[in-house]
Amino acid sequence: MSPPLGSAKGQINRPRRPLPLGPLNLIGDLTLFRRGTLRYWRMGWNSLAGPCVSALLFLTVFLLAADGTAAGGGAIALGAFVAPGIVVFSLCQNGFENAGFSLMEDKQEGMIGDLLVAPLRAIEIMLGYVLPGACSALATGLLVFCLTLIFVDYSPVAPLLGLAYAAATALLFALFGTLAALWGQRWEHYSAAETFVVLPLAFLSGTFFSLDRLTGGLQVLVMANPVFHAVNGLRYALTGYQEASLALGGLVLLLANGGLLALLWWLFRRGYNIKA
Amino acid sequence: MEFHSVPSSVPRVRQIGAVNWLGLWTLYMKEVRRFLNVYTQTLLAPVVTTLLFLAIFTLALGRAGRGIDGIDYSLFLAPGLIMMAIAQNAFANTSSSLVIAKIQGNIVDILMPPLSPAELLLGILGGGVTRGLLVGLVVLLAMWLFVPLTIQAPLFILYHAIMAAFMLALLGMIGGIWAQKFEHISAVTNFVITPLTFLSGTFYSIDRLPGAWHWVAQANPFFYMIDGFRYGFIGRADAAPVAGILVMAAVNLLLWLLAYRMIATGYRLKP
Repeated sequence: MSPPLGSAKGQINRPRRPLPLGPLNLIGDLTLFRRGTLRYWRMGWNSLAGPCVSALLFLTVFLLAADGTAAGGGAIALGAFVAPGIVVFSLCQNGFENAGFSLMEDKQEGMIGDLLVAPLRAIEIMLGYVLPGACSALATGLLVFCLTLIFVDYSPVAPLLGLAYAAATALLFALFGTLAALWGQRWEHYSAAETFVVLPLAFLSGTFFSLDRLTGGLQVLVMANPVFHAVNGLRYALTGYQEASLALGGLVLLLANGGLLALLWWLFRRGYNIKA
Repeated sequence: MEFHSVPSSVPRVRQIGAVNWLGLWTLYMKEVRRFLNVYTQTLLAPVVTTLLFLAIFTLALGRAGRGIDGIDYSLFLAPGLIMMAIAQNAFANTSSSLVIAKIQGNIVDILMPPLSPAELLLGILGGGVTRGLLVGLVVLLAMWLFVPLTIQAPLFILYHAIMAAFMLALLGMIGGIWAQKFEHISAVTNFVITPLTFLSGTFYSIDRLPGAWHWVAQANPFFYMIDGFRYGFIGRADAAPVAGILVMAAVNLLLWLLAYRMIATGYRLKP
């Protein structure tokens, strides 16, 4: 008689002792982070090159169409005015798509169950989607920024501040993307969120036009848009030109990020749309 | 006793004439229903993006007293944006239809029925053309709320809209047949279709381009469809209107022949 499979000398396997976990399951967190980033980089040149091509096209077309007109009352060259906004735009779009696609796919394919049964807290699962999305978006944004250097002369005044603003933007939109994917039951819902919420936020943000082109009411509306503050902050960091208070901008981004993080954490704890 | 007669419940073999009208119509309606089913993505989304483009470019560049040859910038821009929406949607419909059918394997469902290559081509193309034109119409109506577009030459508008929708639907078919993964078709969109649409004089008059680039722009067939379409609205064109008509007809003929050959030989469709 041969011994049962998996046991030495015919003895029955004892169950292994459970892995001792601290307040955070670091192995699990790192695995999730690795998975999230691999998902993005696996697509390689396609996921990177797409945003780069469209950013460069926007910049080229805009500079050609503008025909040398200066923005902001001539205080700043048009290229230097627009380019930070284009970087922010790619941060927004990529942050949203990277985080959202992952979660949406897991929900559609049923793989979300594998995470729910793993010894991970709600916040760890949530960050397992948000952080890889935000980091990949930041990497894409940096690449787009490097490409804009071909066309635009910056005079950076606060590079670190710029990086902080970029990171806050990437995080904010990774949160948006995760929220949209959590809410959406089908791909259509998710892409509707992108078309009707994210694109308007990203476009109507003062990326391409200066605030003084708008009248009173619309100005207030744009000022309430966190993307406007992201663009304004990055533009200040790269060129020293600002249209609104940076402290206010930082506060708006902080509040938006904090609020969304709290909302998302609450939803993940409740298992909204992911637990039966 | 009629043991050998065929019972009346067994249908006779359907006779198909020179054209399988029923099959063609069925394939066409399948393509149309495919995009109407998700109209928020296929009809409303283009309206939102186009209006956003209109808003940002007019706000940024459309100062009073500026314009192109005395034409208000928004009047110059709007027809180009409508054409961009037609182009992108006609392309997206045929290319996504084919790539999804190939990846999911249900391509056999359209290869097996008694449809000739021309009928197959027409049925799928028809869906793309219908989506392109429908999006164009919806975007035009939405634009009218913001831009006082006037129609100067309706036949030019109609001709170029239809030819552009056909051209992009054909390109989408060729791309969709060639592509073997989603990555391939999104690469075609990112590196071929989007650059050609953006750099085709939608946002600026190509007279602005320096020497050599002016010639490059004139070699882009997308330039002619946008230029001709815009001519129908503002009565001003960068190129000779007749040239645009001929270029579009020639390009469409060539693409049709290529797509027909691909389907007839079963390139990347049949094992």
